[in-house]
Amino acid sequence: MIEIRKLSRSFGNLIAVNNLDLSVGNEIFGLLGPNGAGKSTTVMMLTTLLKPTSGTAKVCGYDVVKESKKVRSKISYVPQDMAVDRKLTGRENVQLYAKLYGIPNRNSKVEEVLEMMGLSDRASDLVATYSGGMRRRLELAQALIHEPEVLFLDEPTLGLDVSGRKKIWEHISMLKAEGMTIFMTTHYLEEAEKYCDRVAIIDKGRIEAIGSPENLINSIGEDASLNDVFLEKVKTPEEQVSFNSTQFRNLLRRR
Amino acid sequence: MKALFYYFERDLVKWLRGRVTVVSSLVMPATWLVFVGLALPTKFTDNYLAFITPGILVMTTLFSSLQGGTLMIFDKILGFLNKFLAMPSPRESILYGKILFISVRGLLQATVILLIATLLGVRILNPINIILIYLTLFLFSVFFSALSTMIGLYLSDHDSYSAVNSMISMPLFFTSSALMPYEVMPSWLSTMAKLNPVSYAIDSIRMLFEGGMPVQGLIGLAIGAGIMVLLGTYQFRKAFV
Repeated sequence: MIEIRKLSRSFGNLIAVNNLDLSVGNEIFGLLGPNGAGKSTTVMMLTTLLKPTSGTAKVCGYDVVKESKKVRSKISYVPQDMAVDRKLTGRENVQLYAKLYGIPNRNSKVEEVLEMMGLSDRASDLVATYSGGMRRRLELAQALIHEPEVLFLDEPTLGLDVSGRKKIWEHISMLKAEGMTIFMTTHYLEEAEKYCDRVAIIDKGRIEAIGSPENLINSIGEDASLNDVFLEKVKTPEEQVSFNSTQFRNLLRRR
Repeated sequence: MKALFYYFERDLVKWLRGRVTVVSSLVMPATWLVFVGLALPTKFTDNYLAFITPGILVMTTLFSSLQGGTLMIFDKILGFLNKFLAMPSPRESILYGKILFISVRGLLQATVILLIATLLGVRILNPINIILIYLTLFLFSVFFSALSTMIGLYLSDHDSYSAVNSMISMPLFFTSSALMPYEVMPSWLSTMAKLNPVSYAIDSIRMLFEGGMPVQGLIGLAIGAGIMVLLGTYQFRKAFV
């Protein structure tokens, strides 16, 4: 579904994505990495929001630069910002997307996706009254209105409570079971371990490890977790600056 | 280009639901009309209200258009723009939908000012000219909403935008022919006023109130609006398409 060949993107001197090679099939694929590793840049290039500096990427067989409009008709993108209109109702938010995608039998399709995301009984309420989890599910409803083949999710569970996160994951798993490809980024490694078919850990624009969560964990050792794999593969600046507990204690006492 | 109207509809419904903003945007021009239009003692006319009404109509649409740049900024920083850009509908329709909404919003506000002025006794000699007044205001509004959206996209920061906005809105208004005719202005001001695009709109509308036909003004505004939309499209394409 997604074929990436030697994909690079730089901003001035900073190389955000560096010669990335990756292919993603019909699966839930998780892109993991520290802040600033190039996750969002990669997603933005795949969703045609950003042009690569070099290299190519194909989504559903279409080139993201040359056939960007065809790519856009096959995908949906849910950024991490929770961009739903608070002054519109849930139903109106989805209707806007149905109109923009030119969906036939608009109204019944809108009700269908609202029902699917468990929002039917609150669909006539303003989004201002929705919880974080409901807003996220509303975004999924918007994204599903045109039955995309690939769904791009940037931090889909960020800032949600435990039950909200569980619900989102149940929906994502259900979409996968129905044949949708899901490409996502996340910071919650426990979730990636549990729900992703494959994950890639990227750091400074390069893939440091790739495979199923089980294989990656087994390569580290027994009783390990994806967290251990992550810490092994990624050396963040925060980690390299070691924590000096004596100095910290002295500073606290001085106050 | 259906998408344009869907984007327009979204902004319009959101605006109409924010009742405070709908009312508050009308308070300032109404205040000008009543407290300056009815009160200022002037020598060059004995009906200052009738003189100032075209200026206040244009001021209403000017400030409303300049305010409009924030809409694009918020859509950008809140993530809406990226979601819209990832859809197959033509990307430029996002921009055109914004310009249309800002312009229509300005016309709705101008309508209320026009009604207040009529209540206060201002009359239009040739009622058919009302349509042309709306056309003038629309062209004027397209010019400035395209400009403000360009500035908004360029700055992409709400605070800098409102700084720029307050920096240009008042000078544009005061260096126009809104408050006094060119004859009574000091010569340095009248030179500035004649170059100011805001005066184009005010002079045209003043002529329409008096029953005249401002062919030059209308053509000038149409060309200006066209150029601004082209520049806006160019900038938008360069940034996103």
